[in-house]
Amino acid sequence: MPLPADTDVSTPKYLRDKYAIVGIGETTYTRGSDKTTRALGTWALRNAAADAGIKTSDIDGMLSYSNNDSTSATFMAGDIGARLNFYMDCVGGGSSTEALIGIAIGVMEAGLCNCVALFRAMNGFSQVRIGGTGARSATPVGGDMLHNRAYGWQSAGQMFAPTFMRHMYDYGTTPEQVAMVKVVHSEHASNNPKAYYKKRYTVDDVLSSRIICKPLHLLDCCVETDNATAIIITRADRAKDMRHTPALIRGIVGRCSKPRMDMHYQTGPISRVGGYYAKDILWPNSGVGPEDIDATGAYDAFTFTSMLQLEDYGFCKKGEGGDYVSSGITRLGGKRPNNTSGGHLCEGYTHGMNMVIENVRQLRHDIDDSCPIGADGKRQHTYDYREGGCRQVKDIELTANLGWANPMTTSGMVMRRG
Amino acid sequence: MHTKPVPVPDEVSAPFFDGARDRKLMLQHCSACDGWSFPVRERCPHCFAAALTWRQASGRGTLYTFTIMHQVMNPGFASAVPYNVAQIDLEEGVRMVSNVVGIGNDALRIGMALDVVFEDVSDDIRLPKFRPVAG
Ligand SMILES: [Zn+2]
Repeated sequence: MPLPADTDVSTPKYLRDKYAIVGIGETTYTRGSDKTTRALGTWALRNAAADAGIKTSDIDGMLSYSNNDSTSATFMAGDIGARLNFYMDCVGGGSSTEALIGIAIGVMEAGLCNCVALFRAMNGFSQVRIGGTGARSATPVGGDMLHNRAYGWQSAGQMFAPTFMRHMYDYGTTPEQVAMVKVVHSEHASNNPKAYYKKRYTVDDVLSSRIICKPLHLLDCCVETDNATAIIITRADRAKDMRHTPALIRGIVGRCSKPRMDMHYQTGPISRVGGYYAKDILWPNSGVGPEDIDATGAYDAFTFTSMLQLEDYGFCKKGEGGDYVSSGITRLGGKRPNNTSGGHLCEGYTHGMNMVIENVRQLRHDIDDSCPIGADGKRQHTYDYREGGCRQVKDIELTANLGWANPMTTSGMVMRRG
Repeated sequence: MHTKPVPVPDEVSAPFFDGARDRKLMLQHCSACDGWSFPVRERCPHCFAAALTWRQASGRGTLYTFTIMHQVMNPGFASAVPYNVAQIDLEEGVRMVSNVVGIGNDALRIGMALDVVFEDVSDDIRLPKFRPVAG
């Protein structure tokens, strides 16, 4: 795809396709890794370097994010034999992936380093569970928790559920429609040998699973796992020497937020999410619109979060998310598949990394499914999406990742096949 | 036996909890822009003036949205499930998080009229909660 005529030396159009994701790596997705986050992180970083076809010592920049539940770059760099010219460990969870890739571009553009590895290592099942239970539930409460914890409002699902309830009230969104997010992602996961849950689920399975907090059933919630993931970013002109077709980074929006992030429900409709603001940065930065995108990675901490983001980023009209996710559009073989790996609902919970990794593989036209490997070492994709089959999207050129921290904050990224 | 989390007021939020102890719902009001605000802040979130004073709110509002907790995420709430957490649009124009009491969870309806009541959670702390307006 040639660059549009309006590309010039003004930021951010100037940066379109100038940087690329050249390496991706992950550990297995488990519950009970019996490894430290340090061991998991180095495992994923080595896999990413091998995938890129570079030495780990070629990495000279490092970024990570966590909520004090990981190991910092200061330890990881030495463990993989990299001497760093830049590093930063950030606080954050969901929505950090795309935002930190934006930071990686910024620091390379500023000349601070040449090749950045971004990692997220977490024992999200066996150590710090994001649900906010265990040590995070300690009493008493002060500060900004004064007006929620005392009423029994603290975990992610509990905090987001009022947004989902109001969406159902405002737009007539039904549990059956939203359950289709899980159904579709489970179909995708059944074609992903790496997925923690490979079983295909039905709408009835979702609706008959126990209620966690209304309107969320157990199967509306993601699968907490132990894992590490890594992504290597460098200039696109350097990517030519590497193993795979690069995924060119076309545009990013990072941690874009609603007003009053601390108490977002005080301002405007609660069923509006960060994508309402982020779309006006992502699409102009990328020079494309939602109608151009071949596959999405809409963060599925819960079924509802995927739907809300697709809606507010403009893949359908506001309020029509229920129709969109239950229409077949988001299914492999549909017009615009979403989370072809199975995402957080089925593959594993990574705070967004695996959805970017999946789209990088899609853009290489080399998704790691069970299709036979040909003489050239590449998979011969069948595009037969039945259970256990192919999950490569045919002729895919453009993807969009829509990251979610909470209803207030989102990051997004558009990539194109190099 | 785990207990529910008990708020520990600080110097900024103390008037809210002092008011609740006297069964009054106290909110901050800005004399510069006539705006009400919640939760407690040192400056007005609408105009950033420091001219905030505490006033008693009407205690009346409507149910904006809610959720019903079935899973125990905090052991202090083990005996409370299933319980609701609601967001209430107060007449003054701010939204508060609280629980709706005196009604079954299945009878909660977005838009229903509510008014404030106070529940003891410890010797020192009372929390504002909301109940359906009769009739
Ligand atoms: Zn004011």
